[in-house]
Amino acid sequence: MALVLQNRGHNVCHPMSWLRSERARNNLIAYLFISPWLLGFFVFTLWPFLQSIYLSFTRYNIVSPAKWVGFANYKMLLTKDELFYKSALVTIKYACISVPCAIAIGVGLAMLLNANVKGIAVFRTIFYLPSIVPTVATSALFIWILNPNIGLVNRALMLAGVKGPAWLNTAPWAFYSFVFMSLWGVGGSMVIYLAGLKDIPLHLYEAATLDGASPFNKMRHVTLPMMTPVIFFNLIMGIIGAFQTFTEAFVMTPGGGPQDSTYFYSLYLYNRAWKYLDMGYASAMAWVLFLVIVVLTAIVFRSQKKWVHYGG
Amino acid sequence: MADRPIKAWVMLFAGFVLMCVLLATGYTTPREYPKRKIVRFWHRWQGDWEKEVRSIVDEFNKSQTEYEVVPVSVPSGGADSKLILGVIGGDPPDLMSMFNGAVPNMAANGFLTDLETLMTPDEKVAFFQNSYPALRETGMYRGKCYGITIGADLMALYVNVKQLREAGLDPDRFPKTLEELEQWGLKLNQYDKRKNLTRLGFLLNDVQYLAKTFDGGFDVDPSGKMLLDTPNNLRALKAIVSYRKKIGFDNVLRFQAGLNDIEGAASWAFMHGDLSITYDGQWRVQEMSKFKPDMEYRVFPIPPPAVDGKPRGGVVGGNYMVVPISAKEKRGAWEFLKFWTGLDNPDRAAKFYNKGGWLPFSPAVAKSPTFQKWLKNNPQFQAFLDILASPNCKAPPPIANVQFLNDLIGRAENRAVSGDMTPEQALQDLAVKFNEEEAKRKELGYDE
Repeated sequence: MALVLQNRGHNVCHPMSWLRSERARNNLIAYLFISPWLLGFFVFTLWPFLQSIYLSFTRYNIVSPAKWVGFANYKMLLTKDELFYKSALVTIKYACISVPCAIAIGVGLAMLLNANVKGIAVFRTIFYLPSIVPTVATSALFIWILNPNIGLVNRALMLAGVKGPAWLNTAPWAFYSFVFMSLWGVGGSMVIYLAGLKDIPLHLYEAATLDGASPFNKMRHVTLPMMTPVIFFNLIMGIIGAFQTFTEAFVMTPGGGPQDSTYFYSLYLYNRAWKYLDMGYASAMAWVLFLVIVVLTAIVFRSQKKWVHYGG
Repeated sequence: MADRPIKAWVMLFAGFVLMCVLLATGYTTPREYPKRKIVRFWHRWQGDWEKEVRSIVDEFNKSQTEYEVVPVSVPSGGADSKLILGVIGGDPPDLMSMFNGAVPNMAANGFLTDLETLMTPDEKVAFFQNSYPALRETGMYRGKCYGITIGADLMALYVNVKQLREAGLDPDRFPKTLEELEQWGLKLNQYDKRKNLTRLGFLLNDVQYLAKTFDGGFDVDPSGKMLLDTPNNLRALKAIVSYRKKIGFDNVLRFQAGLNDIEGAASWAFMHGDLSITYDGQWRVQEMSKFKPDMEYRVFPIPPPAVDGKPRGGVVGGNYMVVPISAKEKRGAWEFLKFWTGLDNPDRAAKFYNKGGWLPFSPAVAKSPTFQKWLKNNPQFQAFLDILASPNCKAPPPIANVQFLNDLIGRAENRAVSGDMTPEQALQDLAVKFNEEEAKRKELGYDE
C-alpha cells in the first residue's frame, strides 16, 4: 500500500511512505497507545490460554518438561475423581442459587433506587459501596459477621429469639453463607440495572397509563421486558463469575469447608495446580470449566430470542 | 509537515514506555552492606516473630564479612506458589522457610537443592549424628536432605493449675491415661444457662497426631505400603468422636468460633482462662513468658490410652529451611542456615531457638548452657523436649503427595466428628481415595 513518490526523477518507494496517509498515522498512534495492553494480552493471556490446551494433555510440574499423557488427565477427571464431581456440583448449585437471587435483588434494588426522593444519590452510593470493596476484605469481614457467638447475624437472630447456626462451620450453612455473601456485592449490577431503567422511554409508561394499567402491570409489561437486555447481560456475567468463585472460598474455608460443602471448582483446581503441583491435571480441569461456561453461555444466548426484548 | 506530529507522538510514546520501565525496575532491595553478596531469605513469620527473625538475621550479618542476608516476610497463604514462580522465573530466593508438608512434593518435583551437597564431610557427619531423628527425617525425601528445621513444632497439653485446683483436681497427679484425662476435661467444662459452653475443659482432636499415642499413625510400613485404615488409627478416631459426642459437636464449634485465638499474639484463649487444658504447640511457652508471666500453668505430653498406648507420641511439623534449586547464593544460604541451626556452634544458636520458643535442632543445642539457662526459667518446655527425644515421636510419611494425604486425613476427621460418617467409614473412605490417587499418579507416570 506504499505510496510511490517522485524523487529527483526516479520512482522511489520510501519505507515509511505509507505513514503519509492520515488514517494510517492515526492507526499507528492508536496501536502504539494500546500496545502495552496488547502485549500483555498476547503474552499473559492468549499464550498461556493456548499453552494450557497442550498442557492439559501432559503431566507437568512447571520445572520439568511436560510429558505427553494423551487423554489420561481427562479420563481420570471424568471417571476416577470424586472431588471433581463434588466441587463441580457445589459450583453449579452456587450458580443456580446465587445468580437468580442476585438478579432479583439487583433489579428490585434498582427499582427502589430509581424513585425520585430526597437523598437518593446517598442511598445509591451506600448500596454501591460494598461492590467496590476487595473480595479478600469482604471475606474477612464476613468471617466476623457470621461468627456463631459474636457475629452480627446471630446477634440479630438472638434478638428475635432464634439461635443462629454456626454458619461457616456446619455443612448446609457454610454453603448458604457464600450465597448470602455474594448478594452483598449486588450493588455493581444494580448500577447497570439502574442505567437500564433510566433508558426506558417515558412514552411507554404514558401509553400504559392511558390504557389504565396498574403500577404492577406497568412493571410486569413495560419495565421488566424493557430491562431484559440488561438482565441478559448480567445473567451471562453472573454465570461466568459464579463458575469462577475462588477468592472468598480460599480465604474463608481454604480446606473446602465442612464436609466439602464449599469446595468450589476453582479452589480444587488451584489446589491441584499449586498445592499438589499437578499442572497438567489442573489445565484439564480449567478446560472442562471453560467448555462448561461456553456451553452455558451459548444456551443463554440461544434462549434470548424467547425472552430478551430489544425494543428500547 | 506531516513528520512533525508523528515524531511528537512517537516521542511521547517512548517517554511513556521509559517511565513504565523505570517504575517497574526502579525498586531495589535496601542493603546495609551493599559490598557483600546478597542472600535473599523468604520466611513466613509475621508480627512479633518477624522481629525475632530480623534480630537473628542482624546478628548473622554482623558476624559476616562475605554475605548479607536480606529477609522478606511472605504471607503464608501464597508462599509456596511464590517460590514456584520464583524458581521458574529464574529469580527465586536463596533460602526459604517452608511448611514441612510441602517439602517432599517440592523435592520430588525438582524444586529444591539437596542440602548435603552444600555440607562439608564434617558437617554431614555432625548433621546426621547430632540432630534429633524425627526433626531430621521430616526434611528428608528418598534418603536425601532437602530441608532443615529451625522452627519445628510439637504438641502437648497446657494445663491451667488454678482452674484444676478450683475443680478439686490435683495438678501434681496429672492423668496417666487418656480416659482419665477425658473425665477431667468433662469436669472442667462450664456452661451458661442455655447450656452453651463458656469454658472448655479439654478437647481431643488431630487424629494424625493422636494416632501415635494409640500405637498407630499414617505412615509407610517397611514394605512401602501406606498404613491408613488400621485398627489403631481407628481407635484414635473413635476416641475423638466419642469424646466430642459427650460435649456436643455444635457446642464445641460455637465455642471455638467465638474464641479470638490468634497465634503469636496475647489473645490465646488459654491465657484468658477459656480453656482449662488445651493441646497446643511449644511456641506458646515463650508467649506465656512474654504475655502472661504470672499465670501458673504446666505442660504434659498427652497421656496414652489405658490399653495398648504409647507414651510421648507425636508427629513433627513446622517450618523447614529449603534452598531452591536455582538459588544464586547457595553457599551464603548454607552459612546462614548453619549459623541459625547451631550446627557449628550449638550454644550460640540456643538463644535463637529461645527467641521464638522453637524446638532445638539437636540435643547439643538443648544441652548447651544458654538453652539450659532459658529452660530453667521456662521449665514447661521440658515436656516438648521429652516428646522430641521419645522413640514414639516420628516424622510425617516421606511421600511426594503428603499434602494430599494431610487433606484427606483432615477431611476424614471432620466427617467422622460431625457425624456425617462413622469413624470406620471415614477411614475406609480415606484409604480408598488415597489408593485411587496413588493409582492415578502411577498411571500418569509419577514415580510414586
